[in-house]
Amino acid sequence: MVPLSWYLALSAVLFTIGVVGVIIQRNVIVLFMCVELMLNAVNLTLVSFSRYLGDITGQLFVFIVMAVAAAEAAVGLAIIISLFRNRETLNVDEADLLKL
Amino acid sequence: MQLETLNLNYWAIAPEVIVSITAVVIMLIDAFSKRGAHRANATTAMIGLVLALISVATLGRVGVGSYFAGMVVIDPIRIFFSITILIVAILVVLLASQFLSDEGLPPGEFYSLIMFATSGMLLLASAGDLVTVFLGLEIASITTYVLAGYRRYDIRSNESSLKYFLLGSFSTAFLLYGMALTYGATRTTNLDGIRQAIASGQIIYPQLLMIGAAMMLVGFGFKIASAPFHLWTPDVYEGAPTIVTGFMGTGPKAAVFAAFLRVFVGSFDVPVEGFGLQLHNTWITAIAVIAILTMTVGNVIALSQKNIKRMLAYSSIAHAGYALVGFVTGNFATVAFYMLAYSIMNIGAFAVIQILARAGDQKTQIADYSGIGFEVPGLSFSLAVFLMGLAGIPPTAGFISKFFVFTNAWESVPALRYLVIAAVINSIISVYYYLYPIVVMFFRPLNPGFVRPRVTRTTALAIIPDSARHLLSGVDA
Repeated sequence: MVPLSWYLALSAVLFTIGVVGVIIQRNVIVLFMCVELMLNAVNLTLVSFSRYLGDITGQLFVFIVMAVAAAEAAVGLAIIISLFRNRETLNVDEADLLKL
Repeated sequence: MQLETLNLNYWAIAPEVIVSITAVVIMLIDAFSKRGAHRANATTAMIGLVLALISVATLGRVGVGSYFAGMVVIDPIRIFFSITILIVAILVVLLASQFLSDEGLPPGEFYSLIMFATSGMLLLASAGDLVTVFLGLEIASITTYVLAGYRRYDIRSNESSLKYFLLGSFSTAFLLYGMALTYGATRTTNLDGIRQAIASGQIIYPQLLMIGAAMMLVGFGFKIASAPFHLWTPDVYEGAPTIVTGFMGTGPKAAVFAAFLRVFVGSFDVPVEGFGLQLHNTWITAIAVIAILTMTVGNVIALSQKNIKRMLAYSSIAHAGYALVGFVTGNFATVAFYMLAYSIMNIGAFAVIQILARAGDQKTQIADYSGIGFEVPGLSFSLAVFLMGLAGIPPTAGFISKFFVFTNAWESVPALRYLVIAAVINSIISVYYYLYPIVVMFFRPLNPGFVRPRVTRTTALAIIPDSARHLLSGVDA
């Protein structure tokens, strides 16, 4: 059996890839995908803990996270579309009207 | 688990249910009526909120305790924060009608989004489990992302919404990762269960709990806009429609503070020998550092702002810092009262700014306020009252709430008195930028071409009692 620590390490790596992606990427869609990756890393953590502890709560939590992520995706894409309509770019560096 | 032990009691979630049903009803009214169902929408929203307020008042009869297998709790914190949230929602609904008709925006969605956001915030304030904290937080956040972008054809509003969305979901992921690690370390997501696990010293992996708590601190820190996680705040607050800025600076913030208190003071704060004490010391120190940083960053940057919405954004960062001072004492009541007073002042200030800014938020520079003091005395006087409240000048509720938080922290935690000293110095700095718009309003010449703004009856109904209550609650307390 694969030990718990491997799963935790994998999900930590996925989470970190997501964080780094959000920091260095400039395309809104890619940023958004990185956030989704972070959420899925969390799902992996929850599921592996749930299996390891023999407790069902973690798996239920994952369902709720997935539902929320779907709602977030819907709203996020709508926001991106309305920005694109007015600005015709997906580069976050060009969304700079409100800079200090 | 037997069905009886789940403790299902629908009265325990009555406020949330009422508000969500109202939101759906508003959507239906909007779908089935012709254009101009504005009044019907607003009235329905108002009825829903008042009913919810009544059901919050009756929560005490349902009985203090936890319901739905510990997912939802009834306690004084929930009741107090729910009242704050509902007052905010009522004020926003009163103010929204003028905003929506001036800007020609569709009313149905706005009211139902406000209602959904309110139901999420109420759920957040009543959460007894990390799952409910997450769910409530996301219901409140996702609807607020949409509200920030409500002025769909305005590029500033789009940008504000996009920034809020990206950074908001980024921070949610941190919070969630923290929750997952906490679950792994304690074997439960129930806040009471976590407390017991720490108290009994049976933590499976103490390091995991430490990392989990740190991650959750980052997540909550983003949501309440504390430094160094505050960078999104000024942009989002400036770009969003003013009324929405008022809403998101008060309601969601108060609700997140409720959950933050519950998780950190309620669950993680178990100073028993060994790991509990170590966790306690670590997070208290972290909160103290964050509080000082937040106050200082907020106040110092606010000094140089030319735009009043941006200035109030930094001021709201500073206020999050003052409220965090209340955390170290572990006293719920001072933070709760602080958030109530702050919400009333802040939403009042944004209401006046909304009217003076006109459609499209054109006049939000402090220079635009030059000399209007005697031209529109009602609005200027109200704004002056709110700003003095935010500064914490004596006869107002702002002063009393600050006084409670600071004296409580001073007396109960002698080791952290430097925190109170920093807070007082910060309050003194803040007086400068709060008084500056008042000076500009009353002692500068009037800009040529100033046109008196229109103030509708519902707007006046929101602002006048709001400022009166604000002054009176200071005198009473």
